[in-house]
Amino acid sequence: MAKLLMSGNEALAEAAVRAGCRRYFGYPITPQNEIPEYLSRRLPEIGGTFLQAESEIASINMVFGAAAVGERAMTSSSSPGISLMQETISFLAAAELPAVIVNMQRGGPGLGNIAPSQSDYFQAVKGGGHGDYKLLVYAPANLQEVVDLTVRAFEKADEYRTPVMILGDGVLGQMMEPVELPDVKLQEVEKPWALTGAAGRPARVIRTLFMLPGEEGMLERHNYKLKQKYDRMAEHETMHESVALDDAETVIVAFGTAARIAKSAVAIARAEGMKVGLLRPITLFPFPVKAVARAAERAGRFLVVEMNMGQMVEDVRLAVNGKVDVAFYGRPGGAVLSVEDILSALQSSVLPQAEQPVK
Amino acid sequence: MSTTQEKPMTLKSLSHKKDLLTGGHRMCSGCGAPIVLRQVLLAVENPVVLTNATGCLEVSTCLFPFTAWRVPWMHSAFENSAATASGIETMYRALRKKGKIKKEMNFIAIGGDGGTYDIGFQSLSGAMERGHKMLYICYDNGAYMNTGIQRSSATPFGADTTTCPAGDVVPGKPQRRKDLTRIMAAHNVAYAAQASPHNWKDLITKVKKALAADGPSYMGIIAPCNRGWRCQTNDAIQLSKLAVDACFWPLYEVEGGKWTINYDPKDKKRPIKDWLKPQGRFKHLFAPGNEWMLEKFQQGVDADWESLKKLQEAFGR
Repeated sequence: MAKLLMSGNEALAEAAVRAGCRRYFGYPITPQNEIPEYLSRRLPEIGGTFLQAESEIASINMVFGAAAVGERAMTSSSSPGISLMQETISFLAAAELPAVIVNMQRGGPGLGNIAPSQSDYFQAVKGGGHGDYKLLVYAPANLQEVVDLTVRAFEKADEYRTPVMILGDGVLGQMMEPVELPDVKLQEVEKPWALTGAAGRPARVIRTLFMLPGEEGMLERHNYKLKQKYDRMAEHETMHESVALDDAETVIVAFGTAARIAKSAVAIARAEGMKVGLLRPITLFPFPVKAVARAAERAGRFLVVEMNMGQMVEDVRLAVNGKVDVAFYGRPGGAVLSVEDILSALQSSVLPQAEQPVK
Repeated sequence: MSTTQEKPMTLKSLSHKKDLLTGGHRMCSGCGAPIVLRQVLLAVENPVVLTNATGCLEVSTCLFPFTAWRVPWMHSAFENSAATASGIETMYRALRKKGKIKKEMNFIAIGGDGGTYDIGFQSLSGAMERGHKMLYICYDNGAYMNTGIQRSSATPFGADTTTCPAGDVVPGKPQRRKDLTRIMAAHNVAYAAQASPHNWKDLITKVKKALAADGPSYMGIIAPCNRGWRCQTNDAIQLSKLAVDACFWPLYEVEGGKWTINYDPKDKKRPIKDWLKPQGRFKHLFAPGNEWMLEKFQQGVDADWESLKKLQEAFGR
């Protein structure tokens, strides 16, 4: 199939269409506006619905409504907008409704700026909203992966009845690359829970309130059920990429755009004779704990590189479990790392203690 | 209340006043919003505190570490201008009660139409209902211009935006715009009005009335955007005037429940196509086959204008 040169936002939007998403709800925010703009043109052509809400809170609740009737629904936003959606993301998780939420992250906190950032890792992976819940979180690092993971996100959302987040950033949204758009063979997905009209069958209930008379412990039981689902996801859905790890003395761990930059740094470091490898988590939840632990058996040190003040590094340290030193190098506030930044962090002699940017 | 109100307001007298929104900001050339805000601030006599919702005006006037505002000005988020002003005004009343502030002060909350009609509507409605003594100014350019011209609930029927693109299936925005000034009047606020920067005298007088009113007040002010309206950079004032002459944007005020139309073009009322024609966002309305859209637009404008006149008849002075 011919490759198309597309921006990340547009490629993601088209991938969603091919994955069977016919209902999109969104609200303007930079740097992801090309997603709603593309879908406002594209969805009416194929009998789908593009709906611009009056706020992000409305968007995510519209997703809740569409998901409850069994539709493949999506919303997209950027950091502050995703913050506004957190309550209903928790509700989606509680109600076990499949939905895809795209966060093209920008610099924070606050209104921050509109430059690419990875500072919503905690929000995406550790909850964000209230209650014990997890999202399946994909972190693409190039536009082909944006496309492929978007399709996968819809499939996995249905399979696990769970909200899935695609955690991109302004770089991935705005940059252009050639992509191959798949012809997805859409499978009819049985949704025996969907609210499709109860004529001729018992009524179904989608609930987020677990407080019924005579149902002592209902919410506790529901939490155990969710936990089992998250454990299943950890067993079957964890994805990562390894680059030159076999003989690596230093393992860089990075995701998304930071990993893309780190990959270039690894190539240069290898050419200079340094034994450096890259471990790139593709799912942030579930986190590739085993792969990181295995790498810690062999490597002498870890360097975690992020476009934030150190968020994923906490999960890396949990997985490494004190076996080797885990240093961190990151730039917050919408600053994009350079290959040179990472190379100088690699060469820094004080690396194991370095918490501050080396520059 | 203010002593200058008795003196006749002339351009000469206004030229002696210091601009509280100074130059050097990064709004586009020909933008209506800073013109509107400069006129608004010319009416202010007391110390004033401004709040500003996220939007063009907010991002372009406060690029860190600079500010174009010569008065205290606060931005919090997109949906919060009225809520932030509510908090500030509440603090002011508390400090006044304790005698820590002696002076009469004014509070003006500012938002574009996205931050006012859509995401900020809840906090605006709450502030007006609670009765905070503030003036809310909506500079209305009829779309989310800051993020790239997406439709808002203030976008006129038929307009081409990046999220209601005019094409074969959907010919621009299918819905009519929300009439927010009337919705604010329905909050029984002390003062609600519509104004336009081409009529500076009317606009400034209204701001003075709003600030002097004993309670919350709201003003919707049309602010042409050449980027979003797809018109010339020197069209802002002309298009504001045409909007008023075509009765798309009537100048009126609701003062303590009394409705007054401030300007009635009568037999000089312009057909709406005169206002639509110079704007590229309505280009497709003039394409063969879309005559019904022009008719529908005109009918909507006429119906609104007639009902406004009836309100004046029923509830005028």
